[in-house]
Amino acid sequence: MFGTRSKLPHYLFAGHALVAAVCVVGPGYLWWGSNARPFVLGLPWSLVWAILWLISVFVSLLLYEHWTRKCEVERERAEASGKRDP
Amino acid sequence: MSTDAWIISGVSVLYLLGCLWVGMRGGKGATDSAVGYVAGDRALGPVLMYFITGATVFSAFSFLATPGLAYTSGAAVFYVLGYGLVGFIPFYFLGPIAAKLGRERGYITQGEMIAGACEHRWLAGTMALVSALSFIPYLALQVKGAGLVVNRLTEGQVPEWLGGAVCYVVVLAYVLKSGVLGVGWTNVFQGVLMMALAWAFGLWLPYKLYGGVGNMFEAIAAAKPEIEGDAATRFLSVPGGRTGQWFVTSGLISMVGFTCWPHLFMKAFSARDDRTLRRTVVFYPTFMVFLVPIFLIGFAGVLFPNPPPNPEQILPHMLMSLDLPALVVGLFCAGALAAGMSTGDAIVHASASILVRDGWITALKRPMSSTAERRAVRILIVILMVASYALAVWYEGDLVRLLLYAYGPVAQFLPGLLVSLLGRRRDGVAVHVGLIVGVVTCVALKYEPSWSPYGVHEGLWGLALNVATLLVVALARGWRPFSPAGGNSARA
Repeated sequence: MFGTRSKLPHYLFAGHALVAAVCVVGPGYLWWGSNARPFVLGLPWSLVWAILWLISVFVSLLLYEHWTRKCEVERERAEASGKRDP
Repeated sequence: MSTDAWIISGVSVLYLLGCLWVGMRGGKGATDSAVGYVAGDRALGPVLMYFITGATVFSAFSFLATPGLAYTSGAAVFYVLGYGLVGFIPFYFLGPIAAKLGRERGYITQGEMIAGACEHRWLAGTMALVSALSFIPYLALQVKGAGLVVNRLTEGQVPEWLGGAVCYVVVLAYVLKSGVLGVGWTNVFQGVLMMALAWAFGLWLPYKLYGGVGNMFEAIAAAKPEIEGDAATRFLSVPGGRTGQWFVTSGLISMVGFTCWPHLFMKAFSARDDRTLRRTVVFYPTFMVFLVPIFLIGFAGVLFPNPPPNPEQILPHMLMSLDLPALVVGLFCAGALAAGMSTGDAIVHASASILVRDGWITALKRPMSSTAERRAVRILIVILMVASYALAVWYEGDLVRLLLYAYGPVAQFLPGLLVSLLGRRRDGVAVHVGLIVGVVTCVALKYEPSWSPYGVHEGLWGLALNVATLLVVALARGWRPFSPAGGNSARA
């Protein structure tokens, strides 16, 4: 989806992590996630809020790591071909 | 003792023997050097790293104090999930940078790395002292938790001091013998056990007492109706029975402290490679899910007919009141001990390593042979364990307070960590003075809470003064942030 030279994944990941911090540790929790109702699958919204962020942070970490690994592999390949063709 | 007490004690002893066996065998394969004992020869794979970080963080606090907080203050407890979730993300970036420095320059502790990067050896000494002073209460918390569980589940027949002592003699044995690898393999065993038991009790208790999780929350909402705008009636809405300032600032300081915990951070020097480190962070949220059943256990106690003598005993209290088979209660006992011991072993191992490496070798410039260093670490492990045990027996306050005490001073490492890993100009004197000011502020406000304005956690005030002092001292020593040259080369 993103090229290995693109800086966008870095910005997207950093932005998402910052928003997550505001929403689960900072005042965002008190503003948007504090209410007990509605109950979702029997759980109060205040707990569901944290669980949704947990899923979201996990997915973003997975995607970011996938992209980081892709960059690493490409760099290693470039270095290897550079060694072969001086 | 009654038959039940014998069965419960028997299951716990079996668990302790299991830990001892795993821990004693765990160290096989490591070289007979300080790097082997402290950093596992920098060769820990993804499974060990996952459990070593996960189980280290989930402690007696998670198994006892977290349900206790849910029981007394309702949704206030959700701050634990919040800070744990984001507190480890910085490690994704900082961990590989630190690991590279470690490989290049031989670092195995956080303080040694910061002092080396800032070229200011006394910084390592101060960090070693602060770490030890923060670790002792944290370790005491684990000992206290272990003693409390054993005492409650054996109906007071095994005293708290004895329960704590037996568990930590086992920890002492495998940490002394096997070092970080013993800690790692026991953490795998303990992590699996406590996760399985937390889910089992977290789902079963609401079902047994209310007919299901949904019914439980509906019953709590009906019994504790919340009136819009009336903070005193809050329970299931955040921040529950605590103030908004408490919720946000406790979460923030815990998040910062989590990033800086020396025993977690130094695992950057133990990982096999950068990918292993990054994957540890990526999969860390899966360990956080384990907090959800722990919350459910605490909420299950809210409408429980007879209250426990102490909120932190809500889970053992419920189990003892439900006439469960002794085997089930014994298994819970093993799970709670696993939670406390998996943190205690990592802490005692790290704090002794830090005191020797940062305090003695780096700050006091007393080089040692690898064998002598290993021996010194082992002696300090025994001393620290005894000191923590004494504090656990003497201290009678609640566990959360003890944990929050530990987070404040450790959080003061953040500026030094960022400057050493990411800064272009590293003024060791400025970092050192900032650290001292931060820690002194934090400790002073802890002992005199009325000096702490707006109900903000004392660690955050300490951090604010720490950063301000660092900037002022760095500027006074010639740092010019906006000059084309990027400032001077102020170094200690």
